[in-house]
Amino acid sequence: MKWMEIKVKTSTEAIEAIANIFYEAGAAGVVIEDPKDLLNRDKDAWDYVEIPEGIDFEQAMVTGYLPESEKMNELLQEISRRISELPKFGLDLGSGEMEISFVEESNWADAWKAYYQTVHVGEKLVIKPSWLDYEPKTGEVVIELDPGMAFGTGTHETTVMCLELLEKYVRKGQTVIDVGCGSGILSIAAAKLGAKKVLAIDKDEVAVKVARENIERNGMGQTVEVIKGEGLKGVEIKADIIVANIIADVIIDLAFPAVTTLKENGLFISSGIIQSKKDAVRRALEGAGFIVTEEVEKGDWVGLVSCKNVKGQ
Amino acid sequence: MAKKVVAVVKLQIPAGKATPAPPVGPALGPTGINIMNFCKEFNEKTASQAGLIIPVELTVYQDRSYTFVLKTPPASVLLKKAAGIEKGSGEPNKNKVGKVTRKDIREIAELKMKDLNAASLEAAMRMIEGTARSMGIIVVD
Repeated sequence: MKWMEIKVKTSTEAIEAIANIFYEAGAAGVVIEDPKDLLNRDKDAWDYVEIPEGIDFEQAMVTGYLPESEKMNELLQEISRRISELPKFGLDLGSGEMEISFVEESNWADAWKAYYQTVHVGEKLVIKPSWLDYEPKTGEVVIELDPGMAFGTGTHETTVMCLELLEKYVRKGQTVIDVGCGSGILSIAAAKLGAKKVLAIDKDEVAVKVARENIERNGMGQTVEVIKGEGLKGVEIKADIIVANIIADVIIDLAFPAVTTLKENGLFISSGIIQSKKDAVRRALEGAGFIVTEEVEKGDWVGLVSCKNVKGQ
Repeated sequence: MAKKVVAVVKLQIPAGKATPAPPVGPALGPTGINIMNFCKEFNEKTASQAGLIIPVELTVYQDRSYTFVLKTPPASVLLKKAAGIEKGSGEPNKNKVGKVTRKDIREIAELKMKDLNAASLEAAMRMIEGTARSMGIIVVD
């Protein structure tokens, strides 16, 4: 099956009217691109956006799709006529330029899988998507993880650094707390590396749900408990290792609670720290009584390992 | 985590009926996100609103994970409801099919303000009013 793809360049003002013209022509939905969305995002401290250079904020685009049919050209003419009339109703149409192309039916449902491969991290960790087979070599630890909602698919530099550090430091029988667990990848790794108990915490309900699913899929439900929570608030257990792959400002706020929650000689593995904020995070960790014992970096990102007590070195 | 946003995609699609067919597939394909997973989540969240078109904004992160939020209904849907009509006019210049008051326009603009990228409430009202007139809906005081 073929689809006619109709892209209309326009202004923000005419978006809703153009979407309606598409619906009335029988389109099953539209795609709206408005660069102003990049400016008007909720200033959520957890995200950052790089605004592409040279972007024209005044140019929006509405795209609709019509399935190939005898009526297709007639519908296109109707859409085109109605769009060109929009200025008569007091709407700024912008350029109003239309681009028509054809899209072949393709396997959209599975196309995204091409982006994923089995990834090796550190010495023995292997992260594989569920649809790929993998024959583990002796000593390898395989984590099965499909990308979806919630962050953490094992391809981001900060996640890789945390996985490597967990591989280096987690010992059999330890208790690990994963603050900001996202997909649960670090908790699963800690459990598979031998931790006896792992507490995974996230403030986002979606992450809590996704993490639980991923943990079950990896057969770690007995070891890992996932709870919804803010930082380390309300956590009563003592941990050998706390891992937090979040952002610099959150790590800074976690420094004191982390000291309290760690056992003597416990380690705080923190990442998601952008280079420019490294010193501020170090100061906060040292201010809380930690000794920073290791610093790793990948790309723009830094990971820090801090020890609660000098004797831990 | 330090989530880097690589794409923001806005779709308007039927509640409870998202499939990888256009517009979803071609729009999300290039982002590399798990399309079936999105369709499933979207359909679950919107099942109770079947029959309506629901705008949704997806944020795609560098590691191809994503989140989405449902937005306020399209202006055309709210206008048809306010005017008590099923469908807009195909010849909005000649055939008027309904009317709404300026108060309705203001209410819709206020409701949709946060999703419209309009510079002011007046700009949002102009947008809603123009959309109404483009559907053959008369605006009365």
